[in-house]
Amino acid sequence: MREAPRKIASGPKKIFKAGEVILEVRDLVQVFGDRRVLDNISFQVRAGETFVIMGGSGCGKTTLLRCLIGAQKPTSGSIHLFGEDITRMDPFEMDRIRLRFGMNFQFGALFQSMTVGENIALPLRQHSDVDPSLIEMIVKMKLELVGLTGFENFMPSELSGGMRKRVGLARAMALDPEILFSDEPTSGLDPVMTAVVDQLTLDGTRKIGATAVVVSHDMTSVFRIATRILMLGNGPRQGQVVAEGTPEEIRKNPDPFLQQFVRGEADGPIPLRMAQDEYLKHLLGDG
Amino acid sequence: MASLVALSVGFILAMQASTELGKLGANAFIPDLVSLSLLRELGPLLIAIIVVGRSGSAVAAELGTMKVNEEIEALKVMAISPTRILVVPRYLALMIMLPILTVFGNCVGLAGGWAVCVGTLDMTSSFYITHAVQRPELWDLYSGLIKSVVFAHLIITIACYQGLGVTGGAEGVGRATTASVVYSILWIIIADAALTGLFFFVL
Ligand SMILES: Nc1ncnc2c1ncn2[C@@H]1O[C@H](COP(=O)(O)OP(=O)(O)O)[C@@H](O)[C@H]1O
Ligand SMILES: [Mg+2]
Repeated sequence: MREAPRKIASGPKKIFKAGEVILEVRDLVQVFGDRRVLDNISFQVRAGETFVIMGGSGCGKTTLLRCLIGAQKPTSGSIHLFGEDITRMDPFEMDRIRLRFGMNFQFGALFQSMTVGENIALPLRQHSDVDPSLIEMIVKMKLELVGLTGFENFMPSELSGGMRKRVGLARAMALDPEILFSDEPTSGLDPVMTAVVDQLTLDGTRKIGATAVVVSHDMTSVFRIATRILMLGNGPRQGQVVAEGTPEEIRKNPDPFLQQFVRGEADGPIPLRMAQDEYLKHLLGDG
Repeated sequence: MASLVALSVGFILAMQASTELGKLGANAFIPDLVSLSLLRELGPLLIAIIVVGRSGSAVAAELGTMKVNEEIEALKVMAISPTRILVVPRYLALMIMLPILTVFGNCVGLAGGWAVCVGTLDMTSSFYITHAVQRPELWDLYSGLIKSVVFAHLIITIACYQGLGVTGGAEGVGRATTASVVYSILWIIIADAALTGLFFFVL
C-alpha cells in the first residue's frame, strides 16, 4: 500500500472564520424500508463550535453522521458542507471535500492488516508529499496525544476497545482537519480516559479554530465539551429534533423527554415497553 | 498442492490413454496426447480451479471482512479509492501469477506422464521427451496461456466484486466467499468452452 500519493485538486478553498456557517442541514430525511430513521432534520453548525448530537441508541445518530460525511445519500433534503451541497456531488468532487474533514468511526474501522502506526500514516502517505521520516514523527506525535506512545507497531487486534477508539481518533486527526466528525468517541472508556479523549477532541479542534461534530450519549462528556447540543428523539419521535441549544438551554429545557435523558432516569416518556393494553393487543393480534 | 494435482493429472492422462491406445497398439501417441491435453486444456483449467479455491476465496474473504469492519468506508471517507489501493494490486498480481503457475503446472503434468510411460510402458525417456515436446506447436502453449489470462481476470474480478459487495456481518462474508468460488468455477468453465471453440474451430 506504499505508492505515490495521488494528488486531488484542491482548487480555491474558502477559509471559514469563527462563527460562519460551515455545515448546514436542511429538511434531511432518511428512510430505510418503511422506517423514517431521520425525519426532517435541520440545523446549522458554525466554524469553531463543538456541536454535540445526542440521543438514545438507534435514534439515527450514526445514520445522520454518515449522511454528513457523504458516506450515504439521504432520501431527501440538503447538506451544505463548506458551503457546497454534498447531496448533489459526484464522488470525484466529493474527494476534494473529504480532505478537509476527519471521521472517527463508532467502531474504529481501523485497518486490521496494518499496524497502529501505518493506520495513522496512511492518510498522510496518500495525500501529502511529506517525507517518510517526518510522517514517522507526526505519527509519534499523534500517538503521544492520545496516550498511546510506543504502540505504533501493535496490530489493532492486539489493542483493547478503548485503545482502538483512541487510535481511530488519532487517525481522524492525522491531516489536521477543519471539521472533526466523531461517533461516540468516549463510549466504553473509563472516566479518566473519557476526560482525556474530551480534552484531546477540544485540543484538536476548538483550540486551533477547527470545528467538531461529536455524537455522544455520555452526559458528563456532553456538558464538558459542547458549545451547542442537538437532541434526537426515538420511539414516537424517531429521528426528529427534540431540542437544540447551548448546554445551559438544554439543562433548562422543560421537555420531559429531554429531562429524562439528561438525568438518565428509567421512568419517563421515553418508551421502553408498550402500554399494557397495547401489549395485549400486540400479543393477541388485533382481532 | 498445485503441483500434486498437476502430477496426478499427468499420471491419469497417461494411464487412461494407455488402456485404450494400447489396444490399438498406438502407445507411441501417448506422449502427444498427454502434452496436448495438458497445454491446451487441463493445465490452465485445473490450475485456475485450484487458484479459485486458494486465492479467489481468500481475496473475497479478506475484502469482505474489510467491508464488514467499515474499513472500505473509512478508505472512501479519507478520499482513498479502494479500487486503486485494494483491487488493482491484487488484479495485477493474479494476471501475472496464474499464467506462470500454469506453465509450471504443465511441466509437472508432463513429468507425471513421463513417469507412467517410462515406468510401466517401457518407453525410453528420450522418446517420451521428443514426442511430448515436439508434437505441440507454440500455438498450443499460447492458447492455454491466453485461457489462463482470461481465467485470472474472471477469478479476481468475481472475488473482488463479491468481497466488496458483502452485507450483513460475518455471515455475509461466508456467503460471499462461497459465491465467489461457485461463480468463478462456473464462469471459468463457460469461458473455457467458448475459448476452445474459438481457438480450435473458428480460428
Ligand atoms: N443501511 C441501513 N439499512 C436499514 N436500516 C438501517 C441502516 N442503517 C441504519 N439503520 C437503522 O437505522 C436506525 C438508526 O441507526 P443508527 O443511526 O446506527 O443509530 P444510533 O443512533 O445508535 O447510531 C436503526 O434502527 C438501524 O436499524
Ligand atoms: Mg451509532
